[in-house]
Amino acid sequence: MNPVELRRRIGYVIQQIGLFPHMTVKENISLIPRLEKWNELDITKRVEELLNLVALPPELFINRYPAQLSGGQQQRVGLARALVMNPPLLLMDEPFGALDPLLRMQLQNEFVSIKRKLDKTIVFVTHDIEEGFTLGDRIGVMHNGKILQIGTPSELLFEPINDIVSKIVGSESKFKAIKFLQAKDVMIPLDKKYIFQQEMKCQEAIEKMISAQIEVALVKNSDEEIKQIELTDLLRIKDKEKSIMSIGKKLEIVTPDESLSSVILLLKSSNDKVAIVMSHEVIEGLVIINSVLLNLV
Amino acid sequence: MFSIALVLSICIGVIAALLVYSNPRIANIWFNILNVIETIPELALFIFLLPILGLGERPTIAACVLYSILPIMRNTYTGLAHISKEYIEIAQAIGLTKNEILIKIRLPMALPLISGGIRVAVVYIMGIITLGGLIAAGGLGVPLQAGIHQYNIPAIIIASFWVGTLGVVFDGIAWIIENKLTRRYNPW
Repeated sequence: MNPVELRRRIGYVIQQIGLFPHMTVKENISLIPRLEKWNELDITKRVEELLNLVALPPELFINRYPAQLSGGQQQRVGLARALVMNPPLLLMDEPFGALDPLLRMQLQNEFVSIKRKLDKTIVFVTHDIEEGFTLGDRIGVMHNGKILQIGTPSELLFEPINDIVSKIVGSESKFKAIKFLQAKDVMIPLDKKYIFQQEMKCQEAIEKMISAQIEVALVKNSDEEIKQIELTDLLRIKDKEKSIMSIGKKLEIVTPDESLSSVILLLKSSNDKVAIVMSHEVIEGLVIINSVLLNLV
Repeated sequence: MFSIALVLSICIGVIAALLVYSNPRIANIWFNILNVIETIPELALFIFLLPILGLGERPTIAACVLYSILPIMRNTYTGLAHISKEYIEIAQAIGLTKNEILIKIRLPMALPLISGGIRVAVVYIMGIITLGGLIAAGGLGVPLQAGIHQYNIPAIIIASFWVGTLGVVFDGIAWIIENKLTRRYNPW
């Protein structure tokens, strides 16, 4: 395939935006279609469709010149230009780099929703890890021209392949990436030591928890109901001969891919120390609030 | 006469520049040749051309063209070759062929410079045509030259006045066109 044809099949958005100053918005976007001899009606329809996609009302913008647009508006036109031939692959090279931080955030958020509508393969180049985590489904870390590792934010943060990756993604300070992590990243597997029988008495439970060095435990009753007990609650009980089932509290359930921040908020609002992570009726693990923070540094 | 000369020079100058804009070495050779021609005083040029083209309009037009190719070609060349690399790279990356880049990007963006070159040529041609009066080319040159020979002061004054005014007017028109083009094609 010759290079010109190949380039027309790849949408390209660059940091400097690069709209041609002597052409209107419409002419800029429709440059390739015109060269491909589309008819005028199709061109206008397509340009209007794209301007609506990037949130620039066609009536206002279609005949403006780039000099009459702000940076953010220009970059939206740049994106429309890249999408005009509906290429299967979109290459975006630090597209939001030349914009101020507030505008960058706004465009990033808009981009996430556009991304879903587009259903394309997008290669997005950035030096901002957070931007990568926000926009990317899979993130590749490059150093000295080589790709070191490709993975989801959790994979890169918790299983960096070497020190360089670890440094680049900030594995030392995972808490910074808290909104990109999920319950499954900080859960611990369900260990036998956490499971107590309902007939157990409080006193015995206290001793068991101290020796196992745990602060919470799960209690299952005959109806397959699971409740949680906390060491602090047990210590406050006057009648230590009671069975633990009576002081068990309801347990919060979360899914493995639930966002970590929402799990933490859940526990905070219900004043619990533990939630179980369940998927397809199988308990996958526990999220214990104290250990979460420790896992994030 | 004027229009023929102008049109011819524009055509040759622009086409020449189009042919060489991507090749600085060849372009330089041509510019050197044209520079040499430029240094030949017009009268001398007339003398060279007379035996080949005879008297009257033809050698005058030929001299005009030879003289005006340089400003037009040079400006066109600079305009085409020196477009900001950024735009050319983007055009390439988007998938334009070299010719498409020439027609859609380089040419429009070079128009202000090209018209500047044409404006210079306009003034040159005015001057040379007036000189053409010497070799029986007709036009305003005749009363002017005749006046000089016969020491006919009024004739000289009137003819010079007309030539001068025409020159200024044409230059003014060219200046307006140049401005309009600059604003349209070079808004930064």
